[in-house]
Amino acid sequence: MKTILIVDDDADFAEAVASYLRANGFQVLEARDGAEGLRTARMTHPDLVIMDVVMSERTEGFFTVQEMRRTASLKDVPIFVVSSLYSQHPEFSIAPESGWLAHDAFFSKPVDMVLFLEQIRQRLGIEEVAG
Amino acid sequence: MAKDDPTPNETIVVIDDDYAMRLSCRKILEKSGFQVETFEDGVQGLEGVARLKPGLVVVDLKMPGMSGLEVIARVHSIDPNIILVVITGYATIDTAVEAMKSGAYDFLPKPFAPDELRLIVNRGLERRRLVLEGHRFEVERALLKRRFVTFVSHQLQTPLVAVHQYLDVLKRLGDHPDVTVKREEWINRCLHRIEAMQVMVKEWLELSAVESEALTRSRDEVNLRAVIDDIFSAYQPQAETEQVALESDLPEGTCAVAGDRHCVAVLFDNLVANAIKYNRAGGKVTVAAEVRNGEVTVSVADTGIGIPEKYIPFLFDEFFRVKDEAARKTSGSGLGLAICRRIVAEMGGSIVVESKVNAGSVFRVSLPAWRQKESNAA
Repeated sequence: MKTILIVDDDADFAEAVASYLRANGFQVLEARDGAEGLRTARMTHPDLVIMDVVMSERTEGFFTVQEMRRTASLKDVPIFVVSSLYSQHPEFSIAPESGWLAHDAFFSKPVDMVLFLEQIRQRLGIEEVAG
Repeated sequence: MAKDDPTPNETIVVIDDDYAMRLSCRKILEKSGFQVETFEDGVQGLEGVARLKPGLVVVDLKMPGMSGLEVIARVHSIDPNIILVVITGYATIDTAVEAMKSGAYDFLPKPFAPDELRLIVNRGLERRRLVLEGHRFEVERALLKRRFVTFVSHQLQTPLVAVHQYLDVLKRLGDHPDVTVKREEWINRCLHRIEAMQVMVKEWLELSAVESEALTRSRDEVNLRAVIDDIFSAYQPQAETEQVALESDLPEGTCAVAGDRHCVAVLFDNLVANAIKYNRAGGKVTVAAEVRNGEVTVSVADTGIGIPEKYIPFLFDEFFRVKDEAARKTSGSGLGLAICRRIVAEMGGSIVVESKVNAGSVFRVSLPAWRQKESNAA
């Protein structure tokens, strides 16, 4: 069973997404902030991380992504960034080539769970089980 | 800084073709603590201005080569906030008017006494300070406003996203056994998030209403006893549930402030609500007042969790919420104290807080006392 770590300070959002993923055969872990997320990731080595980028300390999510990339054992774990920030806010736009979010997908909140699941399966190389 | 003090280290440039005039200006101004650089013509003077970025330039209107008027225009194209003082031997109304039209701050006819120059220079620099402060204030206001919009959208967006995600998952998973056990809990959580959002919108509107000034401009007689009694009876049921006693200790006789009744009610409503919310079972809320020197100081004291010192400077900021464990259990929009601060400021009063962790907090509000003569007509 593949393990997914959700790092999000909103317990309700995390609960909804986690439930959907569990119902679709994943093991899901939750962390409420970047530090806890990093700790959990180091200990459990998840197959994929879902990370909210605007948590209570504005840039915390971004730093957590960077920190994970610097950690040898985690640097290849795919990170899906989720955020409710509008893309039209120029101060928050991130150039994909900046390296911050290399190889990772960016989803805006709320996420379309069907599409989201599809992307996760694709990234993890899981064939969708019919039915 | 006191008004009449020269700004320390402020640089002043003097441009005059007359050697004696340059020397005496330098002497006078250096004695007042300014850095002074002098130049004998417009071209050199402008180079000096561009290099030294002075706060003020003293320029002779009548010089060979580049005229004083031209110097004025060029100085302002370097920095429009540089104050220009014109000195001239041909002190006619016409030349004065012309100099002022070109952007000079003031002018000084020759000969002048040292104190005349000092006075004009100090006044000019004071004006510059005010103008620069005004600019800073505008920039700060624009930043605050943008921050406010960002915060509001974030604060509204977060609960909306949570509710949306629950509903999306409920819909997608349909009758999946994982969902059926959780359906009721999730619906309750959605309702809770929506209710919190409604409170926030209500408070946000209240804040804008207070900001709109019209509300806070009225200066009616507002009887504090009546306001506090109303608030206490409204919160009595909640206080009982939380086992918090409500006590008031207002002075004998009338105790009234000058302001808008609704605003005063909102102010103390917020403070009393907080005092109950951040209290402990068996604790109490005490509202006391004292009238002194035309001011009424009302204190709202609780016996609750207190506020860690590091948070106090941010307590009255919009959307600020204490992040400690003890405070996390309570819900709030983070707008209540911002509203209080705004109301108090608009009424010309002050609000301060003293707090001790695990002992409680006291919010002290000082407001202008109501005087018989005051009325709306005034």
